[in-house]
Amino acid sequence: MNSLSVKDLCKTYIINKRQNNVLRNITMEIKDGEMVSVMGPSGSGKSTLLYAVSGMDDITAGRVNFFGKDISALNIRQMSSLRLNEMGFIFQQMYMLKNLSIYDNIILPAYQSAENKGREKRKEINNRAKELMHKLGISEIAEHDINEVSGGQLQRACICRSLINNPKMIFADEPTGALNQQNSKEVMKELNRINAEGTTIMLVTHDMKVAAKSDRVLYLEDGNIKGEYSFGKYTDSQETRERERKLSNWLMEMGF
Amino acid sequence: MFFHILKKDLNRKKTMNIILLLFIILAAMFLASSVDNLMAVNGAIDHFLEISKVSDFLTIALGDGKEDKIANFLQDNENISEYEVIDTFNLVNEDIQIVSCKEEPGKSRYERTNTLCVGIVPENFMKVFKEDDSALSLNSGEIALPKVEADNNNLQIGDRLLIKLGEIEQEFEIAAIVKDAVFGSSMMGFKRMFISKGDFEKFKQQENLTYTKLYSINYVNKEDFKNDWRSQNFITISNLEGESTIRMCYIMDMLIAVILIIVSVCLILLAFLVLRFTIVFTIQEDYKEIGIMKAIGITDMGIKGLYLIKYLVISVVGAFVGFILSFPFGKMILKQAIVNIVVDRAEQNFVVNIVCAAAIVAVVLTFCYLSTNKLKKISAMEAIRSGSNGERYKAKNHLKLWRQGKMRPYLYMAVNDILSSLKRFGVLLATFCLGVTLILLPLSAANTLKSDGIIREFSLSPSDVYIDTGKGETYTVDMDSMFEDMNEIEKKLEENGMNAKTGVDMGYSMTCYADDTENSIVCFVLQEMGSWERSYAVLSGKEPELDNEIMITQITADELGVGIGDTIHCMVSDMTYEFIITGIYQSMMEMGKGCRVSRNADINREYAAGIICMQVEIEDMESEEACERLEEIFPEYKIMNAQEFLSNMIGGVIDQLGTLMIFIVGIVLIINSLITILIMKTIMTKERGDIALLKSLGFTDLSLRAWQVARVLLILAAAIVIGTILSNLSAPYIIGPVFAMMGATSIELVNATLKDYIFYPLLLFIVTGIFAMICAGGVSKVDLKEVNSIE
Repeated sequence: MNSLSVKDLCKTYIINKRQNNVLRNITMEIKDGEMVSVMGPSGSGKSTLLYAVSGMDDITAGRVNFFGKDISALNIRQMSSLRLNEMGFIFQQMYMLKNLSIYDNIILPAYQSAENKGREKRKEINNRAKELMHKLGISEIAEHDINEVSGGQLQRACICRSLINNPKMIFADEPTGALNQQNSKEVMKELNRINAEGTTIMLVTHDMKVAAKSDRVLYLEDGNIKGEYSFGKYTDSQETRERERKLSNWLMEMGF
Repeated sequence: MFFHILKKDLNRKKTMNIILLLFIILAAMFLASSVDNLMAVNGAIDHFLEISKVSDFLTIALGDGKEDKIANFLQDNENISEYEVIDTFNLVNEDIQIVSCKEEPGKSRYERTNTLCVGIVPENFMKVFKEDDSALSLNSGEIALPKVEADNNNLQIGDRLLIKLGEIEQEFEIAAIVKDAVFGSSMMGFKRMFISKGDFEKFKQQENLTYTKLYSINYVNKEDFKNDWRSQNFITISNLEGESTIRMCYIMDMLIAVILIIVSVCLILLAFLVLRFTIVFTIQEDYKEIGIMKAIGITDMGIKGLYLIKYLVISVVGAFVGFILSFPFGKMILKQAIVNIVVDRAEQNFVVNIVCAAAIVAVVLTFCYLSTNKLKKISAMEAIRSGSNGERYKAKNHLKLWRQGKMRPYLYMAVNDILSSLKRFGVLLATFCLGVTLILLPLSAANTLKSDGIIREFSLSPSDVYIDTGKGETYTVDMDSMFEDMNEIEKKLEENGMNAKTGVDMGYSMTCYADDTENSIVCFVLQEMGSWERSYAVLSGKEPELDNEIMITQITADELGVGIGDTIHCMVSDMTYEFIITGIYQSMMEMGKGCRVSRNADINREYAAGIICMQVEIEDMESEEACERLEEIFPEYKIMNAQEFLSNMIGGVIDQLGTLMIFIVGIVLIINSLITILIMKTIMTKERGDIALLKSLGFTDLSLRAWQVARVLLILAAAIVIGTILSNLSAPYIIGPVFAMMGATSIELVNATLKDYIFYPLLLFIVTGIFAMICAGGVSKVDLKEVNSIE
């Protein structure tokens, strides 16, 4: 079954009375449990595609089905509910609320989702948050403030937050873009693990090393999907170099 | 380049700049008009007293129109340079009838507000003026009356009155509403009407009429005159020591101007808070630009100049608009304040208004200069590296979400934001606190004046019913008729199944002294009469019981230098009474100078200057029911409960306070709304990224609006609590002295009632909440992609 199916998606911006077609008739599918990377040169429409298919941005034309629901037919309230309960987002910058601790930032969407569901539900959320933080190795920074931790730790906290409501799919916009190599590796390791547990992931990246760890890579140019490259499931870090080499060759063919 | 940056800044921070401009406009308008008004009213009172020719000494006494001992004394005394005696007839309700009234056709019953008399138009002293400030002159068949009397009976120029004194009656057309310098103020309990000389002479032919004589006296030497006057022991109703006493009576007319000044000072303070907030916010927003300007070598003063020019432009525009608006606004306020006064200038003082407006510009710029000192501390590198926001964030989250039980996330975020950024929300808290205090302080004064206990501050005892038979002056000369009426009331009530007792307070104007007659003061001495024995409040000691006991007010005790256990002497006519002081009390009657003797004291009733309203106590019956029953039984009398009686006695003051309350509440609501818009708009501008993040996490617009509104309302709730505490603590120091000036030296102020504590906070919550909701509507305009604008 498809987690996401996109048909004839168009996105047009009007800038100074001039039409700018950022996405042109995009049709694509992402299967359940798949991890798909979107690559392409700057300005090709990668982030716009991510925001459009995740309902973060309106679309000009076409249809986006998220687990069978046509998201363009949903109203603002239904879309909020979908984002809260079925989607997870990870951004390049580790956006968190400054006045809240790491732990409170993580549990906030879950508490919002569980509004009116009582103390027991909140206990469950706390247990899940602790479990997630433990898995991602950031238990010790739970009560820290966001300016007291490293970028890698903060991005892992953002991943925890995106997972707190057991989303069906995660959308990640350059999740390692602001991290150093070491932190980048750690974050990707976590994303692969989450994906291995069954969560569908769509991510936008410039980094070949990141894209090589996904199951499939889509290459976007001038608002069109110019090509796609399938690796199959990433299982072993031993094969990383080989996947990177193959991807590099393919990207060269694409003109990247 | 400066003007380009300035234009961009003014455009970008439109809301913030507009609100700052509004505050400067309001501050300039209020300051200019209130200072001008205060000067105008103060000057007008001087002018009014001068053109009215208020003499050095005034005295009011009853007489029969024939032998006049006081006039004889005035004629012979060498210490008197000039004097005038004006005869007036006392008027009770029964003497006047409304013949035609445009506002209430068919109305015939006339109700006087206070002691009332009618006389000729004064020519030398105590002159009166028409509403247009011109001198009053009347033809036969014309009558003029003060505004308070006209308003009380819904009368206007052209309406007709019938005056009947004994066998003589005459119809009059109201030709003018007058301004009376001596008796026109709201604090004066004596009012007069005017008719032509010819008409007055006609009434004079009637025998056995009661006259009230008004004596205006100019002396050569004050002390000599006072000694001579005291030695005569004349029986008088009231003595006024010229302009100083009369000026005191106009305190309420100046109160509005004084309160406006207080409001404008508060507005200026608020303008500073808003200014500081906008400067700090702007500097934070422009952090990167400041860094770049420093990096390319622009001096601190050059950067500072940018801000100074911006605020100079805003403050000059604001002060100019405020200056222009101060004229119509000041005129409107002045109109209210000078109902009873003749002003000496028709136009407002241009110079005063312009100086006030210029002062606002100067103060704003000085404050701006001091606030921008922060720029010096920012290094170029620091500013550039901190990015465009420049906020030096320090971790300080106070609340833990997971510890908050069932608290909803939006509420948690609201509470946590406030606790984490107290400084940011300080402006809002301070403004709301100020607003609450501004409402509660005058409310406390109004509630104190309207409270049941205040009756004791007038040296009276609370009772179920107060009756104005409209025959007060008749009773003074014919005591038996008063006792007959009291007995009649008791009898009729008994017939109607009510066990009632009646009482009345007799007042004597006496010269009191301790040992030295040189050090004496004229006091209003009260004595209760009737079947009902009442009790009175004392500050210390006890109330008098024996015939030689007396209690005196604190002010009298201070002036005479006596205390409990001492002896004082009270002189009236050729009699001197000796009393032992048993208690000290306070009274707002006669500006605090008063005494009360026991009902057993043997004072010749012929010396009585007047009586205070008849009081009735009915067994086992609430005041409200008793009033209703008495209105049915005695339709010819004016029946009042304690509130109505007080309102009748000090009605003007309570009405003025009521108008003032509406005005203040209106101002507070406007200020709260403006500040709410300012703070919410600016904070939301900074939080667009956070809002977008929360939206991306699945928060609905509704919960985000609730978060934004909750912060404002939580601060308002805190401000109401703090403001209430502040106003209750400060009331004795702010309101207390006003009451002390009126004679209540240690009054127990009545705070806002439960109804007030519900009504006013609810009003603030509703109005502030509506504006907060409107502003919070901005969250729906935040695009989810703005999550990338988080710093």
